[in-house]
Amino acid sequence: MKNRLKVLRAERDWTQGDLANALAISRQSINAIETGKYDPSLPLAFRIADLFDLPIEAIFLRD
Amino acid sequence: MRRYIRRFIPITFVYLASIMLATAMIPDNAPASVLTIALALVPGLAVLGWLWAMGRLLIELDDEYLRMLEVRKFLVATAITLAVTSVWGILELYAADIPRMAIFYVFPMWCVGLVVGQIVNRSAFGDQDSCHLASDR
Repeated sequence: MKNRLKVLRAERDWTQGDLANALAISRQSINAIETGKYDPSLPLAFRIADLFDLPIEAIFLRD
Repeated sequence: MRRYIRRFIPITFVYLASIMLATAMIPDNAPASVLTIALALVPGLAVLGWLWAMGRLLIELDDEYLRMLEVRKFLVATAITLAVTSVWGILELYAADIPRMAIFYVFPMWCVGLVVGQIVNRSAFGDQDSCHLASDR
């Protein structure tokens, strides 16, 4: 699944570490999600959406 | 992960110490006695401790991605162990000259499988070390 995580993060000038800390997950997780190697679970996707104050479909895109 | 390491290290110490003690105290081909069985069971309990620690790791690991990586390692290790022991077991059944594999080697084989699982993870998900990630912004 494609996602706009890296763009959204850059817009806020957040590092992967900043985002990882905000979500209480590892930086490896952020990297894997951003590079499309790992699709987060629905609960984690909702947490990411809540953090950016966006709907899930504005962050995660259909292939 | 730190909690896992804190559990893993003392269990490893107990395992190594009990293996050395049993090797030193029990002569080769000694008949089974209460003492020899008791001494031989201690490293076995340490192995159970390792399995418990690994199970707790999966339960306590909050990060779903890291948990998936651990589960993948366990699956690779289990697949390798089942493959080797099953095929070797069938060989032992039908080829009398094949040397017998001691069951003792099953767990060390599984641990080697964990290393293979780590390599498989790295090839599938790339280098995940912190140095690589620190520069990604």
